[in-house]
Formats: sequence, C-alpha cells, structure tokens
Amino acid sequence: MVWELIICGIATVAFAIIFNIPYRLLWMIGLIGMLSWSVYSFLPITGVGPVPAAAVAAFSSALISHFAARKKRVPVTTFTIPGIIPLVPGGRAYETMLAFVQGDYIEGLSQGAGTLLQAGAIAGGLAFALSIFSIGRGVGQRYETNR
Amino acid sequence: MTTKKDKLIDLCLLAGKLMLMYGAETYRVEDTMKRMAVAGGMDNVNSFVTTTGIFLSGVLEDDDDIMQMIRIVDRFQDLSKVTEVNHISREFVAGRMSITDARQELKRVEKQPMNYPLWLIYIASAIGGGAFSYLIGDSLFDMIPASIGGLVSTLALVLFQHYLQAKFFSEYLAAFFGGVTALILVHSGFGTNIDQIIIGSLIPLVPGVPLTNSVRDLMAGDLISGLARGAEAALTSLSIAAGVATAVSLFL
Repeated sequence: MVWELIICGIATVAFAIIFNIPYRLLWMIGLIGMLSWSVYSFLPITGVGPVPAAAVAAFSSALISHFAARKKRVPVTTFTIPGIIPLVPGGRAYETMLAFVQGDYIEGLSQGAGTLLQAGAIAGGLAFALSIFSIGRGVGQRYETNR
Repeated sequence: MTTKKDKLIDLCLLAGKLMLMYGAETYRVEDTMKRMAVAGGMDNVNSFVTTTGIFLSGVLEDDDDIMQMIRIVDRFQDLSKVTEVNHISREFVAGRMSITDARQELKRVEKQPMNYPLWLIYIASAIGGGAFSYLIGDSLFDMIPASIGGLVSTLALVLFQHYLQAKFFSEYLAAFFGGVTALILVHSGFGTNIDQIIIGSLIPLVPGVPLTNSVRDLMAGDLISGLARGAEAALTSLSIAAGVATAVSLFL
C-alpha cells in the first residue's frame, strides 16, 4: 500500500513533467496524485464499485487542486490534468481493444461501456468540484429569476 | 504608425494566442483578453474564442470600432507557458506593467524553449509508464519493460510529429511502435505480464489536456469549444487504440 502510494506519486510527477508544468509546483502535484489514488483504491475495499470510486477520487483531487490554484495563483488545470492521470481506465480500455481484436464483440461492448462510464465518472467528479467553486459565477439557464 | 489602440489589441491577441496554443481553457482565454482590454481603457469589449480561432472587438476613446481575429493551427501542451502568460496578464491588469513591457514579456515567453528539455520529457515518460504499469498490474519486475515501451512510444510520437506533421496519424504510429516494443520484449522473455506492459507503454500518449479542458469548457457554457476538444480527445484515444490493435493483431 505504501509502495503503491510512493510509486503513484512518482508517476504523477512524471506526467507533470510530460505536460510541462512549472518546477516549483511539482511536489504539490505528487501529493494530489497520491490523494486521488488513495481514495480510488480505498473505496473499493468498503464495497463501492470502481466507477463511483473514480468519481469521488476525481472530485476530491479537483477540490484540493482548486484550493492549491487559489493559493499559488496559477490556472487550476495545472493541477487537475496530472491529478486525474492515476484514475485513467487503462486496463479496461486495453481489455476492450483486445476483445474487439479477438472478435468477441459482446465482451468488447460490455468492457467498452465500463471504460466509458469510468471516463464519464472522472469528468463528472471534475465538473462537480468546478461547480462548487463557480457558485455565483455560472452562466444563466432556463429561467430569469432575478428580474 | 501604430496608435495606442493597435498596440493594445495586438497585446490582447498575443496573450490570447499564446494561452490557447499552449493548452488553456476557452473561458480563461476569453476572460484574460477581456480583462486586459478593459484595463487598457477599452469600452464595449467582446471576445469570442473557439478551439481554433480568436475574435476580439472593442472601442477605445471615441475612436472607430476595432475588430480583429487570429486563427490557431498548432496546439501544444506546455502548461508552464500558460502559467507565465497568466502572471503577465495579472500584472498588466493590476497596472504594474505598461503595454510595451507586457508586449516584450509576452514576446520573450513566445520565443523561449520548453520548460523542460526534451530528454527530460523522454525520461519522464519512461518513469511515468513504468510507475503507472505497477498501479495496474502489481508486478515490480514488469516495470522495466513497461518503461522501455513508454520511452519508445514517446520517442516515436515526437519523431513522427516532427517529420510527418499529421495530427492523429502520428499518434497511431506511436501507439503501434509502443505496442510492438512491448510485444517483442514479452516474446523474448523479458517480462511476463503482457497487459501491464502494453498499458504502461501507451499511457504517456493519453490526451490529458484536451480531456480536462473539454469538461471545463462544457461546464463554463462554451459548448462549441467543449465539443471540439472532446472530439479531439476521442479521436486521439481512438487512434491510440487502433495503433495498439494493429500491433496486437499482427504479433500476438
């Protein structure tokens, strides 16, 4: 578990270098990646499926990213983009591809649905954290209640 | 002769162009350009940004209306440049920097090389691929072939994008060569867990910047840019999947 966390921190920092993120922010990004991985790997132990776990992990890391971006006065994507990398459903995407290559379309479709759901869960977590931080600044929709 | 109006609108467009090219979200680009134009004394400012172009209009001190656009063709991922332009625009809006100074600083950012040298990015993708593969497959020894695969796929991506300049085709070829490297390593006995090694070699190609920016654009109400970036992310992922599928069906 501890090894996994350390390796996850190293992976996140490596991805931060791939995305060309400034040197002075790297250690915070490592911590954010470790946070999202610990949430993502801890929740399934308590009986939560991988898709909701990915949503909660993306939400918590995006929330911390927003605080960090406020504090350091940098765009928040600097933190969120590497922060969600540990959650990417690489294994499932690979299973999907393999099933389609082997002609097992039913298996491919079900694995593909799982992959898409997990990607959507990550997006949903990000969007939820973003909405909390943009209360009062969002765009108007449906009804003009302030007339 | 360049008037203050031309200088100001040039400055705003340059800042917007740099931010959009190096991977900022649409609403941030719009907001930055609008704030800079207002801080420079413009009225009636409107900015409209899509993933591929920037429009800015405004009027300065009872002069004629001015409206300009630029087209963005290249899109890179260099978030440190976005951070620097963000900082410069904050300084300009707060009045701590004149138009000429801000323009000089932006030109410096435009010309400066990447934040990290290319060899460090290669090493980072090797380390990232190896470390990520451990998170998926739980085998310590297989981190080594996975990092070799990650290195090869990033090398191939940079090489093909430099010489071919074809957007999705170079990702396809990079995934193909990464997958072939992983399969060769497994077949020659150097590595056991093939899933883990292939995933580790492909993970440096993941389109993280368009994926995240698409979500943020959609949430901010910029539906056109959000969908465009989502399409970019989906096409990139599909090309990666197609590349590794080619490798697997040829060599497995």
